[in-house]
Amino acid sequence: MKLPPITNGFEIVYKKPDTLTDTPMHYCPGCGHGVVHRVLMEVVDEMKIQDKTIGVAPVGCSVFAYNYMNVDMQEAAHGRATAVATGIKRVLPDRFVFTYQGDGDLAAIGTGETVHTVNRGENILIVFINNGVYGMTGGQMAPTTLLGMKTTTSPYGREAASAGFPLKITNLITQLPGALYVTRQAVHEPNAVRRLKKAVRLAFEYQLLKKGTCFIEVVSNCPSGWKMTPQESNKWMEENMFPMYPLGDLKVPSQTMN
Amino acid sequence: MSFSSSVVQLRSGNQMMAEGAIQAGCKFFAGYPITPATGIFKTMIDLLPANAGVALSAPDEISAIAYCIGASMRGFKTMTATSGPGWSLMIESVQYALMTETPLVVALVQRLGPSTGGATQGGQGDVLLAEFCTSGGYTLPVLCPTNAKECFELTILAFTWSEILRMPVILLSDKETGMTVESIDYSTLSNATSQNRPSNFAFRDYGEFQKEQRKGTYYIDALQEIPTFAPVGGDRKVTATGSAHDKQGKLQKNSPETIDMLIHLEEKLRWRHDDFSLVNMDLQESAKTLVISYGITSRAAKDAVGAARNVGHAVSSLVIQSLFPIPVKKLAQALDGIERVVVVEENMHGLYRSVLERYCNGQRVQGVNKIGAMITPKEILNAILG
Ligand SMILES: Cc1ncc(C[n+]2csc(CCOP(=O)(O)OP(=O)(O)O)c2C)c(N)n1
Ligand code: SF4
Ligand SMILES: [Mg+2]
Repeated sequence: MKLPPITNGFEIVYKKPDTLTDTPMHYCPGCGHGVVHRVLMEVVDEMKIQDKTIGVAPVGCSVFAYNYMNVDMQEAAHGRATAVATGIKRVLPDRFVFTYQGDGDLAAIGTGETVHTVNRGENILIVFINNGVYGMTGGQMAPTTLLGMKTTTSPYGREAASAGFPLKITNLITQLPGALYVTRQAVHEPNAVRRLKKAVRLAFEYQLLKKGTCFIEVVSNCPSGWKMTPQESNKWMEENMFPMYPLGDLKVPSQTMN
Repeated sequence: MSFSSSVVQLRSGNQMMAEGAIQAGCKFFAGYPITPATGIFKTMIDLLPANAGVALSAPDEISAIAYCIGASMRGFKTMTATSGPGWSLMIESVQYALMTETPLVVALVQRLGPSTGGATQGGQGDVLLAEFCTSGGYTLPVLCPTNAKECFELTILAFTWSEILRMPVILLSDKETGMTVESIDYSTLSNATSQNRPSNFAFRDYGEFQKEQRKGTYYIDALQEIPTFAPVGGDRKVTATGSAHDKQGKLQKNSPETIDMLIHLEEKLRWRHDDFSLVNMDLQESAKTLVISYGITSRAAKDAVGAARNVGHAVSSLVIQSLFPIPVKKLAQALDGIERVVVVEENMHGLYRSVLERYCNGQRVQGVNKIGAMITPKEILNAILG
């Protein structure tokens, strides 16, 4: 006997986006990566652009993004995602092209690519997951690591005198004329997730304008690298990361388009 | 030094490389995380500041190696550590170090390639990428440890070689050698440090300064000579350049002196070739088969050689620690009376074998090769008996 779907008679108000695969995610419990993946694919679903979307993943914890995002996904060499995306977008200008990169990938080894991609105003979306450490390699200090923050390679806490200051690369690229839309978001609570989704939707739509690069920083956590429980990490993020990396828009198109 | 006083300790090969570097007098390290080499970086971060040194986190491998070169130009013993993907990015500056005759030790802890490859999968696929990374095909010393203790010893040796030759030296390790934790009996380790580059830090009076300053940091009278090192920020004007240059370090296109300097870069090692070779030979007089191995596969090879002898099969073994320059004399000695050579390496089609083949005369050369998993003693034994 075939059972009727349990949703019979109910209205579906929330479900996994179709463009997110059923593959169980490998991310640590409480890690922000999975939520951002989901938000991206929700927008792709809503805009019905699955067949027109191409993603470029980094080397970092999100190397496996192709397992979860059911769109064409290219994993670039470490730091080169926006460069590979540039090549793709230049020959397929009518596709929605995005990169998905950690802070090591985007703001350490890939700094040059990041700056020049935005400076050229490539019509792509750059999604930047800032968790303040190199998560994948075991939680070492990154350029984004907060002062005083202990990591495996800053065992006594980051010191400005020897390791410099946390790099606010999002503020830096905001200054570039090629940047069309720059915003900083988070995924630590439901309202933040909703705001991120709005930003992603806008950024995908702006790609059609062909007016420059969209750049979304997501201030995120790394419970494993930070050696905290997921809840502690979210609290720590609010108290320590947000003051250094305040959430909100840094540049919106009206400022750039006239 | 901050090592534990208890004599036997558990240590990984990566930790032992870092401890070897400290004992060698390394005072400057820069790194960028990459599995399976991160342990060296991490240990240097932990140990160097307490040993009056500088340990820096670089934003990528291109910077990491360049920081080291800058510090070495002042006379510091420096080291960086990486794996295949990072090594690819360092190759430009390894050549710069060669060209500017700047000592430097690079630990290359191999993982499965190509490209990002397998971060947690070992391999011996970078042997030729390590050696033949220069335009012009210059010989770079490549030292290859087989266990954690050798990681310590060969690191000290790498510093000595790099200092006295004034050139970059590569420590070619691999994931298993670097990350496996083994018992280290500290009482068996040598206390020796590394040698220093021939250098001239001395203050000189003005007349001498004028005379000497012409010499800069590259001056030689014969092609094979190692020029006396002069530090940047010292008493004489020092110019260094990655461009082809004359004896004063001034850019020249192809003047005879400049061509001489390019030949000198190879000649200084070629001339001393025999002093820079290190192997472990275990020869049996009646053996017709020689097993050649290096790095992690040597350990399986050792077992296989033992097993073959146990069943009455004579076999010789040559473990090569100085992969480059090729230890030709010792190789010839090991090949004496041999009819068949078995070269064991964890790569697809015998990278080092392809180089060794030309030194074998008449022997049949075969490989035991594999990627994606370690080679077992059984596989080597089959080749020995087969
Ligand atoms: C050229 C090169 N250098 C180093 C590495 C090792 N590596 C892999 S991921 C990574 C850092 C990842 O950190 P991040 O970009 O912040 O991503 P997260 O894992 O934190 O999301 C590093 C250094 C590599 N794969 N290639
Ligand atoms: S290591 Fe950090 S960034 Fe990577 S999956 Fe775990 S929590 Fe997330
Ligand atoms: Mg990160």
